[in-house]
Amino acid sequence: MRIVTRRRFDWPDLLFGFFLIAVAAGTFAATWRLSGGTAADMGPGYMPRAIALVLLAFGAFFAARGFRRAYAGIERVQLRPILGVGVSVGVFALLIESASLAAASFASIVIAAVASRESRFFEVILFGLFITAGAVLLFVKALALPVAIWPW
Amino acid sequence: MELFDNLLLGLSTALQLNNLIYCLIGVVIGTAIGVLPGIGPIPTVALLLPFTFGLEPASALIMLAGIFYGAQYGGSTTAILVNVPGETSSVVTCLDGHEMAKQGRAGPALAIAAISSFFAGTVATVVIAVLSLPLAALALKFAAVEYFSLLVLGLFAAVILAHGSVAKSLAMVFLGLLIGTVGIDVNSGIARMTFGVPALADGLDFVPVAMGMFGLAEIIANLERPEVRQVVSQKLRDLIPSRADLKAAFPAMVRGTFIGSALGVLPGGGAALPPFTAYALEKKMAKDPSRFGKGAIEGVAGPEAANNAGAQTSFIPLLTLGIPANALMALMIGALMMQGIQPGPQVMTEQPALVWGVIASMWTGNLMLLIINLPLVGLWVSMLKIPYRLLFPAIVLFCCIGTYGISNSAFNVWLMLGCAVVGYFFIKVGVEPAPLLLGLVLGPQLEENFRRAMQLSDGDPSVFLTRPISAVLLGVVAVMLLAMLSPAVLKTRKEALAE
Repeated sequence: MRIVTRRRFDWPDLLFGFFLIAVAAGTFAATWRLSGGTAADMGPGYMPRAIALVLLAFGAFFAARGFRRAYAGIERVQLRPILGVGVSVGVFALLIESASLAAASFASIVIAAVASRESRFFEVILFGLFITAGAVLLFVKALALPVAIWPW
Repeated sequence: MELFDNLLLGLSTALQLNNLIYCLIGVVIGTAIGVLPGIGPIPTVALLLPFTFGLEPASALIMLAGIFYGAQYGGSTTAILVNVPGETSSVVTCLDGHEMAKQGRAGPALAIAAISSFFAGTVATVVIAVLSLPLAALALKFAAVEYFSLLVLGLFAAVILAHGSVAKSLAMVFLGLLIGTVGIDVNSGIARMTFGVPALADGLDFVPVAMGMFGLAEIIANLERPEVRQVVSQKLRDLIPSRADLKAAFPAMVRGTFIGSALGVLPGGGAALPPFTAYALEKKMAKDPSRFGKGAIEGVAGPEAANNAGAQTSFIPLLTLGIPANALMALMIGALMMQGIQPGPQVMTEQPALVWGVIASMWTGNLMLLIINLPLVGLWVSMLKIPYRLLFPAIVLFCCIGTYGISNSAFNVWLMLGCAVVGYFFIKVGVEPAPLLLGLVLGPQLEENFRRAMQLSDGDPSVFLTRPISAVLLGVVAVMLLAMLSPAVLKTRKEALAE
């Protein structure tokens, strides 16, 4: 993911510009069926498309500026934190309804801990059990979140 | 005296036992997250929002407000003791506060910070009470046209006064407005950009967006940096400041309070801009500016007072006009809407007990903060010993449970994950996510008022310029935008907002 080979382009500007253009394009694609209406009587598609036009203009501006400006890099993307946190949240989303709060909490703590290089195995297991118990007490007992505590 | 009646009404709400308890919970949580550098008030408030649903509206807002100003207190404690600003607003307090601690005067520094904050909080409560009435009266004259222009002004001002590139922040506002249009169109009942997902019919919930972009994305970015161990080397001896300290600090406290109150009202001001301004002013007014940065007590008192006053007066636009001054106030709007209260100028007249109760609770909350911060400072500092490697998995989990709790749907958890990835991208390309949240929360109102105004004027956009109040509001926007293009203003802004 490292972008350092050529010493030109302001990468943050360029990428943000492309991102906005992509969002605008996506909006046009998603709303082309909706009627626009007139300014006096706007249809459902009027505002999204009007805003997308503005975003398109912003995107083009940033992309052009990023293209012309001198080199500016982006800090290296490290995979471990984003994967650790991302998988942890994903597993929680999968387990919370199919399994239970206790299972989802424990799994999510242990997987999230992988995101940091400094985590220690036994500490994480103990801490995970402790926080899971705390989460069950706090959210289900105290705040009455309607969710199963145990998988069985 | 209407003012006294209102304050009394507010006090009678704020002093109810359950509201006092929620206020205490709020300020304790606020202090804790203020002390911990890894988590700020925005994800915390977002996290607790779903659970305020069952509370009375006043209790919910009192607690959430307590988190906000409690965090300002906690942030300064760590700034002074370990040179780590818990919140951006306490960055300036590090300069002289930590220097004082190094000289063995940590006790007086903490005491002055707390006293300044309490003094500012008290004055700001009165300022809010005085300013709210005329503003709300003015706002009641507003129709759709004026309201649209006011929303535009609020959004632009928030972007221009906040830090970061103005162009990028504006783009983020529009991005927020765009995702605010997702869901069923109120006028035609047709689903827009829901991609067939039924959970999106009611629109994108801002809680997962806020937690993903502010909570999780921050964690991912933090984990990429090596952890810095904090050592608290100072022994706290006497907390009581000397008479000379108080005498030196008092004028700074007063000046800071007024700067903070004035800047806090401005959109985008919130709690971040005032302390910097107050510090600069104190340095300019001092007989011997070279003392600053070497433990000058005015350098603690002024910014601390300004930051607390600003945090509180930033509630004024929210309570009177229904316009959030910053991303956190946008979450407060969300809290109101969850309670079924449409934010806007009518809230003051329809829900006086709520509005004045929240205002009065800021005073009781500040009193509680004074008590829980000074004698218990050792306890808060010991929280810094919790290593980040344990803290962050717990935050990730609480974000997950909190988002799930909004409507018991796993969809929101996935949405939060998506927002975390996008938020991480924003951090990498150096874009502030706060304007997006403002746009998202204000988007539906903006669209509604725009459509209504255009309907009434038969599609003629000149109506925004022919109605006087609206023309003035939009004129201010134009002046601000033009001013931003002038190099002199650009330079001052850069200096003012530079850390």
